[in-house]
Amino acid sequence: MTAGWAWLILALATYPWLIGADLASDVFASSSLTIFISGVCLIAPSRRLRRWQSVLFAACLGFLFEARRPVPDGIVALALVAAAIFLSSNRPLLRNTPGMLRAAAVVNILACLCWYLGAAFVAPVAAVEPASQVTLQLLVAGLAGVIILLPIALTQNAVMDRLGVPPAPETP
Amino acid sequence: MKDSNEMRVLPSTPVERLRLHIVFAVFFAGFLYIGGGLAYRQLVQSGDLKEQSNSQSQRVVLRPPARGRIYDRNGFALVDSRARWSVKADLAALQKEFRAEYLRLVAAEKAREVGKIDRERLMEVARLRVLQGWLNKVWFVIDETNRNDKLRRPTAKIVPVTAPGERHVSEEDLRKHLLERRALPFTLVSDLAFPGASQAQSPEEGSKSVARFIEQFPVEGPIRLESDNIRTYPFGALASHVLGYVKDTDQLPENVNDISDVRIETLQKLHYTGKTGAAGVELTYNHVLSGFTGWELWTKTSLGYNQTRLKHSEPAQGSHVFLSLDYRIQAATEAALAKIKDSQSKLLPAAAVMLDVHTGEILALASQPTFDPNRLADRVSKAYYMEVEKSGAWLNRATQGLYAPGSTFKVVTAIAGMRKKVVDWDDVLECGAFYRVGNRDFPEHEPVGYGDVNVDKMLAISCNVWNYQVGLRTGIDALSAEARRFGLDRPLLNTVSDVESGGQPMTELPFAASRGLVVPDREYKLRIKAGPWNDGDTANLSIGQGYLLTTPLHMASFAASLARGETRTTPSIIHDVRRDGRHQGAEPIGLSKAQLDAIHGGMVRCVEEGTARIARIPGLPYAGKTGTTEYFQKGEKAHLAWMIGFAPADNPVVAFAVLVEGQLDTSTWGGKTAGPVAKEMLEAWAATAGSKYLVTPKPKDEPGR
Amino acid sequence: MDQNRQGARASYIALAIFVALWVLMPSAVRRLNREAFAEFQAPALHLLGKSRDMATFWEKKSRSTEEMAAAGRDLARINAALEIKLNAMDDVRRENIRLREITRYVVPAEYMSVVARVATRDSSSWWQRIVIRKGRNDGIRPGAPVVFGNNVVGRVTAVHLTTSEVDLVTSPGFRCTAYLEGDDQNRIALVNGVASNSLGTAKARVSVIPHDYTPPAGQPARVFTTGMGGVFPSRLLLGYLDGGTYSTQVGNFKESLLIPSRDLYNLQEVSVLVPLHPNPGEALMQGDQFQ
Repeated sequence: MTAGWAWLILALATYPWLIGADLASDVFASSSLTIFISGVCLIAPSRRLRRWQSVLFAACLGFLFEARRPVPDGIVALALVAAAIFLSSNRPLLRNTPGMLRAAAVVNILACLCWYLGAAFVAPVAAVEPASQVTLQLLVAGLAGVIILLPIALTQNAVMDRLGVPPAPETP
Repeated sequence: MKDSNEMRVLPSTPVERLRLHIVFAVFFAGFLYIGGGLAYRQLVQSGDLKEQSNSQSQRVVLRPPARGRIYDRNGFALVDSRARWSVKADLAALQKEFRAEYLRLVAAEKAREVGKIDRERLMEVARLRVLQGWLNKVWFVIDETNRNDKLRRPTAKIVPVTAPGERHVSEEDLRKHLLERRALPFTLVSDLAFPGASQAQSPEEGSKSVARFIEQFPVEGPIRLESDNIRTYPFGALASHVLGYVKDTDQLPENVNDISDVRIETLQKLHYTGKTGAAGVELTYNHVLSGFTGWELWTKTSLGYNQTRLKHSEPAQGSHVFLSLDYRIQAATEAALAKIKDSQSKLLPAAAVMLDVHTGEILALASQPTFDPNRLADRVSKAYYMEVEKSGAWLNRATQGLYAPGSTFKVVTAIAGMRKKVVDWDDVLECGAFYRVGNRDFPEHEPVGYGDVNVDKMLAISCNVWNYQVGLRTGIDALSAEARRFGLDRPLLNTVSDVESGGQPMTELPFAASRGLVVPDREYKLRIKAGPWNDGDTANLSIGQGYLLTTPLHMASFAASLARGETRTTPSIIHDVRRDGRHQGAEPIGLSKAQLDAIHGGMVRCVEEGTARIARIPGLPYAGKTGTTEYFQKGEKAHLAWMIGFAPADNPVVAFAVLVEGQLDTSTWGGKTAGPVAKEMLEAWAATAGSKYLVTPKPKDEPGR
Repeated sequence: MDQNRQGARASYIALAIFVALWVLMPSAVRRLNREAFAEFQAPALHLLGKSRDMATFWEKKSRSTEEMAAAGRDLARINAALEIKLNAMDDVRRENIRLREITRYVVPAEYMSVVARVATRDSSSWWQRIVIRKGRNDGIRPGAPVVFGNNVVGRVTAVHLTTSEVDLVTSPGFRCTAYLEGDDQNRIALVNGVASNSLGTAKARVSVIPHDYTPPAGQPARVFTTGMGGVFPSRLLLGYLDGGTYSTQVGNFKESLLIPSRDLYNLQEVSVLVPLHPNPGEALMQGDQFQ
């Protein structure tokens, strides 16, 4: 397998985690909270993949997420792509574990915010949703980002190792 | 060098110093002016300025409340409100579409190279087209015939725009709307249950239209569903003259829910359409029924559309009114009246009233022809208005119609005679075929005369000659005084203006009734310049003809008073359990028991075996008196048919009066025409009151008393 | 490093250009993209549903024989009762057909019932929807009502090749008409879903309840479909009025919450009632003017 298709293989490998998050959301359905992890999935690949690869990977994740949700087309995907460009251009930020955790929380929260704003745009009936709900949701997104980062990163790193993607330099 | 330079800058001479001071003073004054001005604006004028900016950026929208219901005495809702569903377009949300359509139009115009483009006009056309497109979609959904596959995709062409009414967006309406109430959504269909102003649907079809829109039209988008209340009269034309109807008003309501913290008058001029009573109880009790108007305070965009709602107050429904009517009796009465037709089976104008003898509460008050207030509740079509106008249905004949009472007045003549002691209850008068007054013969309606007649027999057979004799012996002064004592010259009903000026209503119906009531006397005849009073006039009056004019409601009140042995009954349309049976200006009738019994007995005989025997109800003996009057309609003679009475005979509970205006080609007679109506009214009443007033006829029983 | 910077800037510019192109792109392309990703996920969703079924299957399989025997006995009883009902229904149906023939009554709407398993549920705070494992291939069309037995679940909003999305009764995009139990005048009330509050369960709202409506005493009033709108058949159960606890006067009408008739979070199987003749609303839904 060439390293050129690494982004696609990685996306496929990440997909079970996304489904898992959906299932978890299912469990919490009655509380009307959603587990959002699409942003977290960007962190580990952004350290090692080439920029164009991480961009394609981010777009894939975004479109997968949007396909089943009523949001304006591309809003989450393009937000994730922007995040991927930023992360892969500023790798020093992801140098160590605290940096990655911080990035995971921030990216996840921002992507989740994009999703909610986009959704409010599409469904005007729901735009009256109290701010508290959004705040709570963002909080959950940040928390999920921190908790889920390590297992996801481990999976993704393992896949990338198998695909022969060069490891991230420890120091800039 | 340096020092000297600086020295030269400063003024050295006194003149220079003075100049400098002047400059300082001017500047100081200038700053003072500016500073003072700012302070004035900030501290003193700030309130006003703020208001001014508010008035430019805020707007109050008034929300009319639901009117209270009107019930009959048993709690049946005679007037109610139903949900009205309307489809509105949110103009603010349509801005983008307007713009796109406008650009398309401009491009098309440019392609045609017609020279100057009227952009204003194109914007109008664009708005109209977009709204029409949406309206077509609405029709596409609510029109049940559209359900098949042939119409797969809605385009602006899908609905053939042929039907009148609301299938077209009216350009004029839209222009007016943008000018006057841009803040509010534009109404595409005002009543989904009855779309297209002129098309009448059954309630079932109406519900279907509403449901089809709700379930099939997309929830999101600029087209909104709104619901409000509209007045509805579940029984249609039933008691329409009592209930009245409502009309649109653009007068700002007085009762607005705690709006004190929003100064409306400083905000932009309000446009408001509410409902107000236009006739009947809807009008008299408008202040009770109308409730409190709610309001919403909105900020608006620079284009004048609503932006956000700052504050609001919900409207509060008006209070309910309980009428004394019993809808079962009312319905029976109207049904009975509707059976009276002329030879071309056209309805004859008629009226009927039934009162509670003790309280004076009106149990039924019907006037024919009627109108359907439902068709007047929203937009009144001109055709319907003209139809009502032409049929003469606006007139409430029971309270406003003026008629000579005819033979029913003979009861008054008898009472006057006995009180003047010119005749007593057991006196027998010789009554021939006619009676000569002056040089004129006044006829009996029986060609051979009735022979010996007493009060009792007179009332049963309605003998004229007896009345001529007694009337002449009593004299005009005593006779008209007696009529006045029974209040036949006094309006029973207050006019609207009386009620509005705070006068205590005697009866709560708002008709300027009985303005032309006439109880003639010597003065009256002189006043109308008809010459001095003569005996012929007295003879005419004694049988209720001539100048005498009264209303069916007056005659019903008279019957109620007579039943109680009093002179006055104040009729009332409002149900009040606290009524004590005292009536304004009432006094005892002033007859001995034997005399009163003779009159009551005569009236019972009238029903049992006399002129009203066609209206006899087995098991319910009651008192009645018929009357037939000649009157002139378009210069030709026609007959009025009357019947008054009370029931049951020995313990009166209800009193009634029935009047039918005969046409030229029909023979209308009191007993024959009005009798059946009275009978059906009483039967309906007996049915509602249960069987407690019905007497089981025993073989030994004598008829009557 | 400097090269990296330049590369980053170029990437941002490329992204901006792409965003601009994306916005200008015809909606069909975007829809195609969305469809493609949806179809890509379909097998996974199917697998998920299947594995859930499998889990239930093994769970059932592990039951003891005694339990099975008891369940079989209960089932036999229920079957017997249903058999009797079925016979009675047969008579009624025949009578119905006969009467329709006599009166030449046109049957208002006919439906084809498609049974579908629930694949996943997406009931986040702003919308309430489930994904079912039947799609365009099975003849499902947007707008079709979705029921479970006699209970309304929701409406199909989007149809993919092998999956469909269903807006639940509690979704803000759901709207239908209803009759309230105890209102003998059969006046129409409006049911629509509302967004739930934080950590609260989603609900639906019943509005435009006539002022003088009083629910039958002693039990929550049932809310039925009217069958007037051409979408839902009549007399399906939408839910119960929560009138006792939450009933407000809004304008000139009353308003109350609706407790859905089924636990919408625990649905395993639903039936989609696909109308044989498409109604106008369906045509409007398919039109692309509602963005």
